[in-house]
Amino acid sequence: MVSFEEVINRTLTGPYCSEKDYNLKVFVPKLRKVVKKYQIKYDPENPIPSDDDLADRVFKAGVELYANVGTYCVDTGRIIQFTKEEIQEALATAPSAPVFGEGKDAKPLVTRKPESDTPPWCFLGACGAGVSNEEIFISIIQGYGKIPFVDSITTPSLTTFNGIPIHAGSPSEILACIRTAILAREGLRRVGKPGLPIMNSIATAVSDAGKIAGSQFGLRPSDGWLIGAMAEMKVNLERLNEIAYVLSLGGHVVAETAPILGGYCGGPEGVAVTNVAYHIQSILVYRGSCQDTFPIHIKSSCNTGRGVLWAISISNQAITLNSHFPLLNISIIASGPMTEMEFYETAAHVITSIVSGGSIESCGGAKNVCIDHFTPMMPRWASEIAYAVVGMERADVNEIVKQIIRKYENNLSNPPKGKKYQDCFNIKTSEPNREYIALYRKAKKELGDYGLKFKY
Amino acid sequence: MTKERIFKDLFSAVVSLDEEKGVRAANELIKEKLDPLEGIEKGLSEGMKVIGEKFDKLEVFLPELLMAADVFNSTMEVLGPEILIRGKKVEKKGTVVIGTVKGDIHEIGKDIVAMLLETAGFAVHNLGKDISVSTFLEQAKQLKADIIAMSSLLTTTMLAQKELIDILKAEKKRDKYTIMIGGAPTSQAWADEIGADGYGKTAKDAVSLALKLVSQKREEERDG
Repeated sequence: MVSFEEVINRTLTGPYCSEKDYNLKVFVPKLRKVVKKYQIKYDPENPIPSDDDLADRVFKAGVELYANVGTYCVDTGRIIQFTKEEIQEALATAPSAPVFGEGKDAKPLVTRKPESDTPPWCFLGACGAGVSNEEIFISIIQGYGKIPFVDSITTPSLTTFNGIPIHAGSPSEILACIRTAILAREGLRRVGKPGLPIMNSIATAVSDAGKIAGSQFGLRPSDGWLIGAMAEMKVNLERLNEIAYVLSLGGHVVAETAPILGGYCGGPEGVAVTNVAYHIQSILVYRGSCQDTFPIHIKSSCNTGRGVLWAISISNQAITLNSHFPLLNISIIASGPMTEMEFYETAAHVITSIVSGGSIESCGGAKNVCIDHFTPMMPRWASEIAYAVVGMERADVNEIVKQIIRKYENNLSNPPKGKKYQDCFNIKTSEPNREYIALYRKAKKELGDYGLKFKY
Repeated sequence: MTKERIFKDLFSAVVSLDEEKGVRAANELIKEKLDPLEGIEKGLSEGMKVIGEKFDKLEVFLPELLMAADVFNSTMEVLGPEILIRGKKVEKKGTVVIGTVKGDIHEIGKDIVAMLLETAGFAVHNLGKDISVSTFLEQAKQLKADIIAMSSLLTTTMLAQKELIDILKAEKKRDKYTIMIGGAPTSQAWADEIGADGYGKTAKDAVSLALKLVSQKREEERDG
């Protein structure tokens, strides 16, 4: 595979282009061209298509797109380009079963296929949503550690430490990043899971300095060092700095990607193809051990609407049928805790991801932007749904997901924000209150009636 | 060519993203000695309104919105000098200094707001991303801004919005600027808490809000 040193070299020697021209004269026309060439068409009636030929065409389109657009480095104005041969080599030699975690909590993240009965990887937690204080932070971490199907956790971001608000880019960010690592590790120790991998590195970090400093206080090479791509198909030097550090540690980069529906990608077809192009970027530029993706809607800021779910499904099928590089899907739901809608949204996203060949990262709620509006309930629910649908056929779950989507899609533009963690969980025990348990049982019964076979 | 035909061409140039057509219609307008301000109002701005509405319903996507703005600006480059020759001037609705706050590199949403404000008649100074509070304040002072608009996409960067307002309050300059905020973790409640003048949930909301707030400010200035 092209070396990381050569990638750095290309950030300085690749073709120069303004960012606006890259967006509008390189990325957009090349994307539209491959969407047309490979006859990729969105079908709103079937969020989970069962068409392997369409999946293969989406993959070919994504490979061709990446060969044509590369990755734009916003700090140098250069396009990091790769030949088709370099892309094929990267796909052939990419990691296939990276082992995350330590001791008895260590486990390989294996690639799945559409309709596969291979157990999914359940990366569970907050996905970096903001938490108001350290007491709630550690209580929530303990809640995640207690989930039976948990394979790795994703921590929240602290917004205060010692009661002091955190300012990004300041020493308070560095100190809070250090506190994040210490508390996350401690929370897992308290529930007897000291080796469980933290797979979103230091969620509190905004800067490369914050991430690197925080990691010195508890992160391990066997954790997941989440590094996010910039929309669309971009990188900056800060992210490359982080990658350089993690590679030198022998750590796992979790390459996060987020094509935007309604943005430069256009509609669901463009999002699906771009997700494949990101898959390759995740290997070559971000040097990932896996891709962790969340296609997202520009207006609703979530990924549980019909168009985004279609893009997730077909791109998961495209990737997992044609690549062994592991793929995870992050759920960003619009509704918040202790609402019926959150159970439906999470179910639709998880079913779509799992049966289309991916694994999951399940997050909180309320679009991940409302402080304390997430709990361990949705990650637990997501993992139970994931295990309930392994081995099911796309055509069957397509019908189920259609029924579920109808229950909430009209509310996506104005979703219920729900309650805060401390209003639906006991902070001392990290357990949900009775009302929340009743909602969970009701949802489980309803989904069971649709044909899902829960493991417990 | 009739007046109506030229205005219609200006309108359709924006909607069909046809830069050449826009420039051609602008030159025709000048040749026919028509009022360029009327051409802007009844042609270009109407076209932008339609594109904005289509984007709101996602009948078109971000690239179309940006390309329409390019058509608008290219046509304005032809009409601008003619407006000056006639001793008129384009009355700006107000001056906006806009940017994404320090530590935050997300700017797609902020850029959409900047572009829609510009085509709605504001003089917009888009400072970019990762902008410090002091840069916002210096630029606002230098450009005699009416509005300071700050975007933030992270819970750890949104505090900068409060910080800027606190500085203005401490320096007894809070009334000098209208402060607007936006970005995923922000809300009307956050705007109220930190003492901002307004919060825009969407780009369209932000433009309506800016027009309303500037109009209120002008009225207050008139009433002394």
